[in-house]
Amino acid sequence: MPHIVVCFKWVIDETYLRRAPGGGLDFSSVDYKLSDYDRNAIEEAVRIRTALGGTVAGITVGPPEAAKGVKDALSRGMDAGVFIADPAFVDLDPSQTVSLIAQAVRNHVGPFDLIICGEGSGDLYAQQVGPRLAEALGIDCVAFATQISLEGGTLTAQRRLEGVIEVVTAPLPALVTVLPEINTPRIPGVKDTLMAGKKPVRTLAKGDLGATGGPRLQTLAVRAAAMERACEKFGVEEAEVIRFVDALKKRGVLA
Amino acid sequence: MAVLWIFSETTTSTKELLGLGRELISAVGGSITVLMGPDGEGREEWAAYGADEIILLPPLADGLAMEAHIPVIAAAAAEEKPDIILLPATARGREMAPRLAQRLDTGLCSNCVAVRWSGGDIEMDRVVYGGAAIQTVKFLTRPVMATVAPKTFSPPVPEEGRSARLRELPPLAAGTVPGVRIVEKREKRRLARDLTQAKVVVAAGRGLEKKEDLALVEEFASLVGGEVGCTRPLSEELHWLPTELCIGLSGVSVKPDLYIGVGVSGQVQHMTGVRGAKVIAAVNRDENAPIFAQADLGIVGDLYEALPKLITALKK
Amino acid sequence: MDFKLTEEQELIKKNMREFCEKYVDPIAAEIDENSRHPAEVFQKLAEGDWMGIPIPAQYGGSGADYLTHICAVEELARSCASTGFTVSIHVGIASMLILLFGNEEQKKTFLVPLAKGEKLGAFVLTEPGAGTDVMAATTTAVLDGDHYVINGTKTFTSNGPTGDTYLVFAWTDKAAGRKGMSAFIVPRGTPGMTAGNHFAKMGLRSSQTSEMLFKDCRVPKANLLGKEGNGLAMAMTGFDHGRTGIAAQAVGIIQAALEESVRYAKERVQFGQPIARHQAIAWMIADMATDLNAARFLTYHAAWLKDQGQPFSKEASMAKLFASEKAMHHTIKAVQIQGGYGYCKGAKVERLMRDAKITEIYEGTSEAQRMVISGNVLR
Repeated sequence: MPHIVVCFKWVIDETYLRRAPGGGLDFSSVDYKLSDYDRNAIEEAVRIRTALGGTVAGITVGPPEAAKGVKDALSRGMDAGVFIADPAFVDLDPSQTVSLIAQAVRNHVGPFDLIICGEGSGDLYAQQVGPRLAEALGIDCVAFATQISLEGGTLTAQRRLEGVIEVVTAPLPALVTVLPEINTPRIPGVKDTLMAGKKPVRTLAKGDLGATGGPRLQTLAVRAAAMERACEKFGVEEAEVIRFVDALKKRGVLA
Repeated sequence: MAVLWIFSETTTSTKELLGLGRELISAVGGSITVLMGPDGEGREEWAAYGADEIILLPPLADGLAMEAHIPVIAAAAAEEKPDIILLPATARGREMAPRLAQRLDTGLCSNCVAVRWSGGDIEMDRVVYGGAAIQTVKFLTRPVMATVAPKTFSPPVPEEGRSARLRELPPLAAGTVPGVRIVEKREKRRLARDLTQAKVVVAAGRGLEKKEDLALVEEFASLVGGEVGCTRPLSEELHWLPTELCIGLSGVSVKPDLYIGVGVSGQVQHMTGVRGAKVIAAVNRDENAPIFAQADLGIVGDLYEALPKLITALKK
Repeated sequence: MDFKLTEEQELIKKNMREFCEKYVDPIAAEIDENSRHPAEVFQKLAEGDWMGIPIPAQYGGSGADYLTHICAVEELARSCASTGFTVSIHVGIASMLILLFGNEEQKKTFLVPLAKGEKLGAFVLTEPGAGTDVMAATTTAVLDGDHYVINGTKTFTSNGPTGDTYLVFAWTDKAAGRKGMSAFIVPRGTPGMTAGNHFAKMGLRSSQTSEMLFKDCRVPKANLLGKEGNGLAMAMTGFDHGRTGIAAQAVGIIQAALEESVRYAKERVQFGQPIARHQAIAWMIADMATDLNAARFLTYHAAWLKDQGQPFSKEASMAKLFASEKAMHHTIKAVQIQGGYGYCKGAKVERLMRDAKITEIYEGTSEAQRMVISGNVLR
């Protein structure tokens, strides 16, 4: 019966991001959500547990406000959570996040067979935490799986690369990152959400874990996209559509 | 003076990385090393495209994937301390780069779309928040590492007669052989239509309500002389179109004269694959859709209203 | 003061939104057009425990509070007012009345399957001659041995054709006036109870409405809900809960009208710019957003009072009155903003406008709400 760990992140829902005058980003009306990719990771872990038994524990790093995300993640069928929380844990560098998660996995989670991560986070989408975590823990890594199964201490995964589908095996424990097409995440029912608050959550503060080291990358700026292509907008009326076609012709991309 | 390493996976991506590499090195001086598979196939070409040195990676035992080179590359990089390591933002590159970065305890800019020197530092841009924003990063550690979005940089003009030094790295040390084994490999079906060669690409997105509506997109595409591609949900979740027509990260990258996104919101995973288009156009009913921030021209309106009107206009 | 939903309420509301986007939005126009009860959606609602949110777990429900149920109704109505209403009357009146007034046996037999969503509840009060004037009802229930024998004609029964468990109100002692009406739980298939004519309605079309005909319908004594003579008081309690649900339905309708208006106003170009930049349109949208907030706060407050165990009759009426009238007002504006397009079948605002009207009528007309409110204020 496998013990599975899932990593997840509570992220800004980008639908609520607006461009601020001057090219910056307006975060004033943002809402947060469980990163879409992580929903697939959780669903896959819960699917495996439903078939094989075992446990699913979730782990996340974030500011204390991300507690809602822990509840959300638990409502999707995981058994327990580890919440590494500190007001300073915002915009961590992937290497710092990995350092925290690796320490928590080693010292506070217990033996595990499989770690599942989403393919990337919904906000910064660096796609680093999964593969880095495998290295930090010294376990095998399979990224971008579209199908996985466990049998007799072995992970079998189908991964999608450019132009080729690869089926690979790896001895457990291993880490796998999954693509969204691997499953369709559930919509938690009312009872699932109400029960989530009753599941065990281990909250780890900064002091419970060792130092992460400084950031390896420094963010100099985050500005609204679209600097180089100034979009000329057209309406949908006939005259506008004709103007649009003419504009394409003028640019020489339409015969 | 800077030493820049490039990990070579595919011909196209390697040329593009060499294009970027030469741009960076020409500003400060230094050398470019290409790390490639043990057969060294095509290495003369890399010399012409700007490589000063070729490193052949050791042969891999049957069943080992390219990722098995990680310990060898990491050991060499730890010893030789290159200043910059670039990998393609292919699926393999996106797995290998963070693992290498972790081993080298250094920062990595994923899926970088722009690079520049600023003072003595390298700054890179990447796309975040599903395409809504650009993040600019600088590196606090060495080596500087990045995966580079496909079709972002142009291959350099080859110079005949250039040559490159050649050397090999030692095979995997015992105990560093990974447990991952390839047990099966299936080539994806090749389609008659090749999106990557198309002059005009029309991409269908989630704005389409049902599969039958693809006919509308097809009709429009034929009138603009284009091929139809799609965003990932259409091929991978709804299975309306084959995987081969999926544009973006982990799909194909295109560089047509004209790209038109129809009902495409403009998520970074898709837009990364069309960034190289000369002109980007969009039809979307949501004025705030990220695609408008990345397009040259856009119709703000329902595609079910816009496409029939476009079709009429084009038929005239 | 705390204007925040709890984490659970917020997550549940978001999940309901996701549910609606996946299962309700794609069929909302079709079930309106065909006046179809979407059994497949109710199956999914049952699976997600949405059919008995405020019913305690021991009776098959989720054991959440009433405000959580109200949030779910709001989100459902934002996608489909009919579906939101069906859940509202099923939970807010049929199930709540059995929870509040039923004995243990009745709760086990009737409430559990309702709360689990296996059965659908209906509230059978209105008669052809007795709308707002409930006392004008003529349906009677006469005790005969171990049974009550019900005779009469009811009308405008929501879930009439589709219901499984009916709460039927009839005179057991007409002479006793307000203390002479009683309520009975009548399961579908009880001989003597049939659904009569189905009504073809202007709006709320996927909600099934019919007459209910009672001809010597024998109902076991054990199915008397609460005490004999308490029917009217129970109906009023049911209305307090139900009206809060109708208010939530209206809030969902206004929310949808606002979203449709904002989207259209940004897209539609006239005189060289999106009509959102024309002040006439922008102000309509400002009013919509303002009334939406007000309606939502009134509604949540009524539900909150209920959850605090406080009287909420007046507040439920206020919420229903305000939200329903604003829903009507703003759906008309939403059609106006979309002009000819909004007037055509297929435009969501056209459906919203037809659906909004009923919120001013059922579970007490706006006039009836004003009676309740003024009665409370002038007491």
